[in-house]
Amino acid sequence: MPFAESRSPTPPRNGITKLTNCRLVRGNSLVWDDVWVSSATGKILRSQAAFYDELILPDEMFDLGGRIVSPGFIECQLNGAFGFNFSTVLDDMSQYGKKVRDLNKKLVQTGVTSYIPTVTSQTSQLYHKVLPYLGPSGQSRNGQEGAESLGAHVEGPFLNPGKNGVHNPKVLRKAQTFSDLEDMYGAANINPNPASPDPSPAPIKMITAAPELGQMTALIPDIRSRGIIYSIGHSEATYEEASAAVAAGATMITHLFNAMRPLHHRNPGIFGVLGIAESLPRPFFGVIADGIHLHATTIKIAWNAHPDGFILVTDAMHMAGLPDGTYPWTNGEGEFFITKKGAVLLLEGSETIAGSSSILIDCVNNFLNWSGATIPQALKAVTSTPAAMLGVQGVKGSLDAGADADLVVLSEESVGDRTNLVVDEVWKFGAKVEAGWIRV
Amino acid sequence: MRLIIRDDAEASSSYVANYIINRIKNFAPTPAHPFVLGLPTGSSPLGVYRILVERYKAGEISFENVITFNMDEYIGIPRDHPESYHSFMYKHFFSHVNIHPNHVHILNGNAPNLEAECVAYEAKIKASGGIDLFLAGIGEDGHIAFNEPGSSLASRTRIKTLAYDTILANSRFFDNDLAQVPKMALTVGVQTVLEAREVVVIILGARKALALQRCIEQGVNHMWTLSSLQLHPHPMIVCDEDATLELQVKTVKYFKSIEKVASEQGFEQILPSAVRTGSGNRAAAPAVVTVDEVQSPTILSPQPTTSRLLRPTTPAAEYPVRSVSPDFELVPDRMASRLPDPSFAARRLTPNPEEREERERERHQVPRTVWVGAVGV
Repeated sequence: MPFAESRSPTPPRNGITKLTNCRLVRGNSLVWDDVWVSSATGKILRSQAAFYDELILPDEMFDLGGRIVSPGFIECQLNGAFGFNFSTVLDDMSQYGKKVRDLNKKLVQTGVTSYIPTVTSQTSQLYHKVLPYLGPSGQSRNGQEGAESLGAHVEGPFLNPGKNGVHNPKVLRKAQTFSDLEDMYGAANINPNPASPDPSPAPIKMITAAPELGQMTALIPDIRSRGIIYSIGHSEATYEEASAAVAAGATMITHLFNAMRPLHHRNPGIFGVLGIAESLPRPFFGVIADGIHLHATTIKIAWNAHPDGFILVTDAMHMAGLPDGTYPWTNGEGEFFITKKGAVLLLEGSETIAGSSSILIDCVNNFLNWSGATIPQALKAVTSTPAAMLGVQGVKGSLDAGADADLVVLSEESVGDRTNLVVDEVWKFGAKVEAGWIRV
Repeated sequence: MRLIIRDDAEASSSYVANYIINRIKNFAPTPAHPFVLGLPTGSSPLGVYRILVERYKAGEISFENVITFNMDEYIGIPRDHPESYHSFMYKHFFSHVNIHPNHVHILNGNAPNLEAECVAYEAKIKASGGIDLFLAGIGEDGHIAFNEPGSSLASRTRIKTLAYDTILANSRFFDNDLAQVPKMALTVGVQTVLEAREVVVIILGARKALALQRCIEQGVNHMWTLSSLQLHPHPMIVCDEDATLELQVKTVKYFKSIEKVASEQGFEQILPSAVRTGSGNRAAAPAVVTVDEVQSPTILSPQPTTSRLLRPTTPAAEYPVRSVSPDFELVPDRMASRLPDPSFAARRLTPNPEEREERERERHQVPRTVWVGAVGV
């Protein structure tokens, strides 16, 4: 090891690690540079300032052998994984928090360092019980806790029954006033806590709802004012209705193309809002590039329409990370069975797609190989773009000094004529995630 | 003066980098006895830094016990500005090697009292034992550090106003906006450089050719501050072929032939052994070599001027100015052996001196003469 360091006298350990001989994802290019991370602050350091001001050298140095360093991935649509479904009520709810923490430690090994746990359309009772466990979880800044929740994503129940997907149509509702939302999710789950001197954010970070139902479009500013993202989804909205929602403050589209009207040349529907002028606000949009939900060309078209809004999501269910087989699932009403075969999830005995079970790096690799995008462009769709959508740009999804030191070390692997990225190492809050690699 | 000419920038940079590495290795620095290295910025030394970093990463050299002093820094731009010399050094050298930040010294162009900063800098150089090797580049006007034309050759670390040419040249790094280009800098003085035990200058490219010519073939002149190197006991200039364009053919051939002969004899153009090894005992005179003291100066008046006379107690004057002869038997030197065509070496172009002497000896029974040749340094 040419970098073996021996300094005298031995300085006190400062928790700083230098990753060197690596290519950093910076904007649309890969840049040969070092990155210094601190496990004490959990942040990426301005290394030149640390060198000249603090007169410090890193405790440890890792030669990455030319591999790629990307910001940690941010997943915006994850229903569960490794056998645990967020939309579950347990007899002993104290076990729920334990299962979430367990999931976090496994999920981080797939490269996902931050995510918004997604709860599907459920009864009000379930939201009240589970949402307190799904709020932002990174306060301790301890990398060994694994992936970090940035707040919950409630996908429903204010959805259009005509575009319910596998959501239970019987729990779908229309909202007329903001108190309808408070009643549904629990006031404490949707309003920031004003009591504490440092107002803590509400557990909910994003709401997917159909803007054409009830007074939803008019309620968007109320949602926004609480720091919550409003996302259009599971909707029959026309182009005009979708445009009105964007004008009211909708900044996201949940799994574009799926559970919405297809593009029609005389009414472009929700997809049409990506075509409005560059100077006007256009929403971000999630795309499921698992090879099942969307055709490769459809994904390419969406990316070309608005590359800066393009976010890759898995929409994975709790079977993600489990072996193939048939698993029980409930949509809050009846018991169903879902058959997992590879990344494909189907309602047992039907051809209905019931979410996916792919992991985010697979979606990145699919997109990379289908679209001809460069590696930084593909990684942007799971790093800086979702960070911008969630309002945490510069903190998450970035390798700039001052950002949280959530990193993924990737190597390139050629399989046939495909080039795949492989997650080799994950760093969370400046600490290397030390755990057995879970191959999913 | 040693002038080393290499074919191109890469070979020149490689020579300098190897030279520095060998100097540090022979010096065998320790925490108590560090090697003190003076460093430049600019485009010329970039290749040297790159090779030093490569060799460090290959495990061939450690900078653990190396102390560095940089030549200069702009006044009035933030320290972490991309064009500051702090940033340059960090980006191209310090961030890649195992040098400790405590061992790094760069003038602070944002110090509240710039005058005091300069005085303190000189004191720090002195406290670290003086600079063992000052690496330098030059400007097109022959400036060494920011000692622009007209700088006193006795100058020390101070505030310097940049020449208009330099400001114009630098504007390319500042969005071509003259208003953004720093107009002043802190720089070590000419005398500060001359006090180093050894000075190595790298000069690359045709644009520097006139400056090299002025400094090698002309006299000491404050308008070409590099020419002050002629006063230093141990200077070395390494340049590429392009930089020699303004030199006389004779000058180029002379320096090339010196290097060729010296290396053929296994005699690198090296420093006195004490300078080379450092050995922790700087005051010790070079061992073995004894020089008959000349009772009276060779030249009575005027006294020859060297940098040691400008300031008798400088580190550069700790060692005898007289270079040390190699300790092997010298052989007669023939110009024919320096020519590339080997047939000349075989031909006797002059009457054979050995045969003639043999005949003389037989006739008169006189003892054999020991032939002494000269190796120019």
